[in-house]
Amino acid sequence: MINYRSLSVEELATDEMFRRWVLEPTPEISFFWNRWTDENPDKVPMVNLARELVLSVHSIYSDDLTDEMLHQEIAEITRMAEERKYNRRLRSFLPAIWKAAAAIVLISGLGVLYFTSKQSEEQPASSANAINIKSELEIRTNTTQQEMTILLSDNSVATLAKGSSISYPKTFAENERRVYLKGEAFFDVSKNENKPFLVYTNETVTKVLGTSFRVKAFDDENTVLVAVKTGRVSVFPKTEYEHTEEKRAPQSGVILSPNEQAVFNRKENRLERGNVQSPEILVESIVQRNQVFDDKPVAEVLNTLQKIYGIQIQYNADLLAQCRISAQFDDETLKQRMNAICQAIGASYEMMDGEVVISSRGCN
Amino acid sequence: MSKEESKYYPSDLSVRLWQKFKAGDSEAMGKLAQIHYRSLYNYATKFSSDPDFIRDAIQELYMDLWERRSFLNETAFVKSYLLKALRHRLIKESVRLKRFQQPESAFFDGNESDPSVEVHIIEDEHNRHQQGRLKQIISLLSKRQQEIIYLRFYQNLDHEDISNVMGLGRQSVANLLYRTLKEIKEIWTPAEFFWLVMLGFWYFKTGA
Repeated sequence: MINYRSLSVEELATDEMFRRWVLEPTPEISFFWNRWTDENPDKVPMVNLARELVLSVHSIYSDDLTDEMLHQEIAEITRMAEERKYNRRLRSFLPAIWKAAAAIVLISGLGVLYFTSKQSEEQPASSANAINIKSELEIRTNTTQQEMTILLSDNSVATLAKGSSISYPKTFAENERRVYLKGEAFFDVSKNENKPFLVYTNETVTKVLGTSFRVKAFDDENTVLVAVKTGRVSVFPKTEYEHTEEKRAPQSGVILSPNEQAVFNRKENRLERGNVQSPEILVESIVQRNQVFDDKPVAEVLNTLQKIYGIQIQYNADLLAQCRISAQFDDETLKQRMNAICQAIGASYEMMDGEVVISSRGCN
Repeated sequence: MSKEESKYYPSDLSVRLWQKFKAGDSEAMGKLAQIHYRSLYNYATKFSSDPDFIRDAIQELYMDLWERRSFLNETAFVKSYLLKALRHRLIKESVRLKRFQQPESAFFDGNESDPSVEVHIIEDEHNRHQQGRLKQIISLLSKRQQEIIYLRFYQNLDHEDISNVMGLGRQSVANLLYRTLKEIKEIWTPAEFFWLVMLGFWYFKTGA
């Protein structure tokens, strides 16, 4: 334990624990420092100065970077990195004049290419566009015999049944979260009322704001099934959804509540609402994933989660070294488990690039 | 983990992430960029008030590291190294774009006249308040003093990191910091002392 009595104002103001008390206090840290100042009244002016120093500096030099901006920038850097994966940098090797020359050659070359290809092909622009949209989609196909856990960038989780495939953008669009499903999956969707989550199958569109449900749409079956566990879900025949979207006419889908299901008959192009027939359809996973942790280091808990869900969880092992939890999970979804764990250790999590990333300031 | 070790192998940089970065995994690049993005962005706002300029500068900084990834070691992602590289880039780019001619965008540029803080304080005597007084004292420091206070108490860098970022010797950093803190304390503490005396006075009066 550091002897805080011997520290100078500078040392105190740069001490991690002191800074945490000043900037983002937890009850335990406040308790410690309040007791410490009670026991060391002669140091109160020094504590006040160090405290005021940290606060003043943070308020003078604050910025306006929001979490959303940060995410966008990181996504942009990731995208740029992917784009520049193979082309070696031109500018560090070539003087400016050669760069200009190279650019002219390149531009005129592209021009020639463009005009020649335009003659041979009817719609070069639209086909290029289509390829572009397609390449931004991540496609995952479950060829294993088990279920596959897919983590989406909005913190939603899709549990993909075997023989099914799903495609989704690495980062969702501004106004909606759209995924395409072939086969069967259970969705546990993060709530975001401004950005509906849409599951497209060949024939249906399922629209939710934040809930959990299962969609079953195998190509070789005659029906598409949507069953709801929590929240409210709207299901539309795809032809009508896209049609009415444009006209802004009232949509002809069905709205489902928990324990209700909709069956779309492919032959009759018709949706039918009913109650869920078998309860097992409403669990995230067909395999039981019971977990009991009795005062275990959180790293151990996270490792087990990684193993049973086949996912990657990123965390700072040093920071979490002191965190221990007790928990029992039966039919909780992965998101419910993550929520419970993070709440217990005062952390938060995000799903980024198919991995769970835990942010924490550690435990004491 | 010793202090020295943690400095060069930041604990938030996992071996696996590093290997993925080296292997050309763009997602690993994104994750590495996220670790110190906030610190870099904040530092950059002290050089420029143009968010697009700042975003471009940080993007280019990381793209530069990305393109040289096969030659890099882990130290390239140590916070103070990134801050230094960004500082260099911002100044170079600003000179090119003549952004530094706008006075409000350059808090920390190198040229400084170094008038005593007391002069400002006395000038500002009439609008002095107990609350926010330290803020006022700091904002009246010279640019170099402000930068060192910022790096030490906002970014929480140690003396060696500060000397690296600012391009000063270790001793200069220690001296500048000592002098700055002393100045701050000299102006700050009399008021504290004043209140202690007043309280004592009040205590004796009521006690009597």
